[in-house]
Amino acid sequence: MQSVVHVCLAGLSSGMFIWLVASGLTLIFGVLGVLNFAHGSFYMLGAYFCFTVLRHLGANFWLGLILGPLFVCAVGYVVERFFLRRVYQLALPYQLLLTFAFVLIFDNLVKIAWGAGSLSPPSLDIFGGSVPILGRKFPVYNLFIIAVGPLVAIGLWLFLERTWWGRIIRAASSDREMASAIGVRVPLLFTAVFVFGCWLGAVGGGLAVPYVGLLTPGMGDTIIIEAFIVAVIGGLGSLKGAFLGALIIGVLSAFGTRYFPAFDMFLIFILMAAVLLWRPQGLFGEAR
Amino acid sequence: MGKKEINRREFLKLTGATGSLLAAGSVGSLAFPKGVWAATSAIKGPIKIGYQAIASGTLAGYGQFHKYGVEMAVEEINAGGGIAGQRVEMEFRDSTTKGDTAIANCRYFVDSWGADFLAGIDSSGQALAIPSIIERLDRVMIITHAATEKLTEDRVFKEGIKQIFRISTPTYQDGNAAAFIAKDLPAMKWATISPKYEYGYTCWKMFQDTLRKLKPGVSFITESFAPFGTTDFRSHINTIMDAKPDGLYSTEWAGELITFVKQAKEAGLFDKIKHVMFPVGAAMDVLEGLGKEMPDNVWISGRYFFKYPNNKTNNEWVARFRKRWNHYPAYVSETGYSAIHAIKAAVEKAGSKDTKAVIQALEGMELDSPAGHRVFRKEDHQAMYEVPWGKTVSNPKYPFKVMGEQKVIPAKEFFNRPPFEGAGTKPPF
Repeated sequence: MQSVVHVCLAGLSSGMFIWLVASGLTLIFGVLGVLNFAHGSFYMLGAYFCFTVLRHLGANFWLGLILGPLFVCAVGYVVERFFLRRVYQLALPYQLLLTFAFVLIFDNLVKIAWGAGSLSPPSLDIFGGSVPILGRKFPVYNLFIIAVGPLVAIGLWLFLERTWWGRIIRAASSDREMASAIGVRVPLLFTAVFVFGCWLGAVGGGLAVPYVGLLTPGMGDTIIIEAFIVAVIGGLGSLKGAFLGALIIGVLSAFGTRYFPAFDMFLIFILMAAVLLWRPQGLFGEAR
Repeated sequence: MGKKEINRREFLKLTGATGSLLAAGSVGSLAFPKGVWAATSAIKGPIKIGYQAIASGTLAGYGQFHKYGVEMAVEEINAGGGIAGQRVEMEFRDSTTKGDTAIANCRYFVDSWGADFLAGIDSSGQALAIPSIIERLDRVMIITHAATEKLTEDRVFKEGIKQIFRISTPTYQDGNAAAFIAKDLPAMKWATISPKYEYGYTCWKMFQDTLRKLKPGVSFITESFAPFGTTDFRSHINTIMDAKPDGLYSTEWAGELITFVKQAKEAGLFDKIKHVMFPVGAAMDVLEGLGKEMPDNVWISGRYFFKYPNNKTNNEWVARFRKRWNHYPAYVSETGYSAIHAIKAAVEKAGSKDTKAVIQALEGMELDSPAGHRVFRKEDHQAMYEVPWGKTVSNPKYPFKVMGEQKVIPAKEFFNRPPFEGAGTKPPF
């Protein structure tokens, strides 16, 4: 019992953590139609900026989590406004190449600015450490991550479905030209959505500072692959799908690691293959 | 050129006070060759060394510290008159962790850049990927980090690829020596969380095989292997804590070890499991990264630890290193530094930079290095030397945990012995 509950908790927290990163990736793909390979870099930058605020301003973690991602938004603005905008009309491989170039650039900039070695933030006493659950300690912070995931999902849903802005974004994503014809300033809207997506990734990075406990120049490269798997399973561009995909991947890999260790990585790829065979567009994706 | 000379002078002034390595006659002069080697014509041109290590991605810090050690060796050697009177040149390249990149680097170094010697390599997978290209390129390659014993036992000893040498400790340190420490601990049930690749599997198997022989009745109750790049160890930690072992053995290393220790602390693992061993826990990135958060009484070791041996050579080297780079030397800094000195000693002994002659000089060669006295074993080209195991303690002199109680097992007692198969080749002897 203790074991099953703890494996569930570990799975839920890692699933919600991946969701927070995948949400920005999915939003950007859903609206802009760009597979942003550099999303992992924004996650990494979020973590580094958050860490820097923490260390230099002696600020508390929450201030870092608010200020850090704002820097990343500025970086995201530059990337969209001056680079990405130029390749919207081109084929997907050009967008992948450009965003991948940014992965390499940001990895190296981080190495130059923060050093090649890993940075290990001191353990933060957020929410007072761990609580015993059925006789084994579990960090309260991870319970917080489990709670934040659904909140972000609900918030995004309300924003996109229930607000005027959301309607405009949905309109622009389903038909750029029509939206433009009725007076929506599509380029500006795309910049705003891209920056917002970067902000989501950066918040994921900020949350990673206590969750992972380590910052490295390549930290975005691992998470982007997980986020892609989640997005593909859920259906590229579908937030609902990404949420469900992250939940499934998180819990499945936790159970796989604990109970079927020989197959832990295999399980995820077999699931992805099965979903792609059965529904090539992903669980909630629209057939294109 | 003029500017360079000033730098050299200043550098000599700085190191001159402590630099026992420096030859007095070389001060202020850039002319090579000189000294006793001035008359030697057998060795022509600069000695070119191609060095590769991980310099990108999550392990980029390792490359940085390799570079610190190697650059320092090159600076000191050139300031002291070079190798056999010839200037040393070093080029550093990022090896990444991929086999093909390591191979491409070797080709570049030799075919395009004209390297006389090769050194470096962190990953065991890469170490096993390069032997055939090294044989074809026919240059001496000194491995400074990758630990798989298959490199020296199979590729060098059995297949006869004589160009390869290893100056760092192999998995014997992580598996066999750990078992010698574990036999004296009151733990009978052992478990592991280790890397899900060659290195992790090999060490855990070696640890089990040796400990079973040293301490009959001991059992190995569970294992959980984490893939490269794991950032969430919580399910692995659950696996281990569910099994309730007395002892935990883990060859997790670098950043992943830092993450693992933090997450294990959150789950209270160190309160439940009293005997914990980290064969590469004495790496400086881990000790400095964890700082006070490294639990006490954990057994750690590495490929070199800056506080051992406590003698003049080592202490002076550590002081020079700190002065030069403002860091404590990582173990890869020491192995990189010593690899360059091994090349120097071998070339000067051979009186040639010809591969065959240098191999002959290196075989059985003794080297006095910061890590202590090393001997390159003739059969498998593995350097024999000791690295202590020790228990973590706080020390007011350092902002991180260091080894308190140290135990040194003589290399010849726990290094597998040629021919590596059959009775009497694996410890205990």
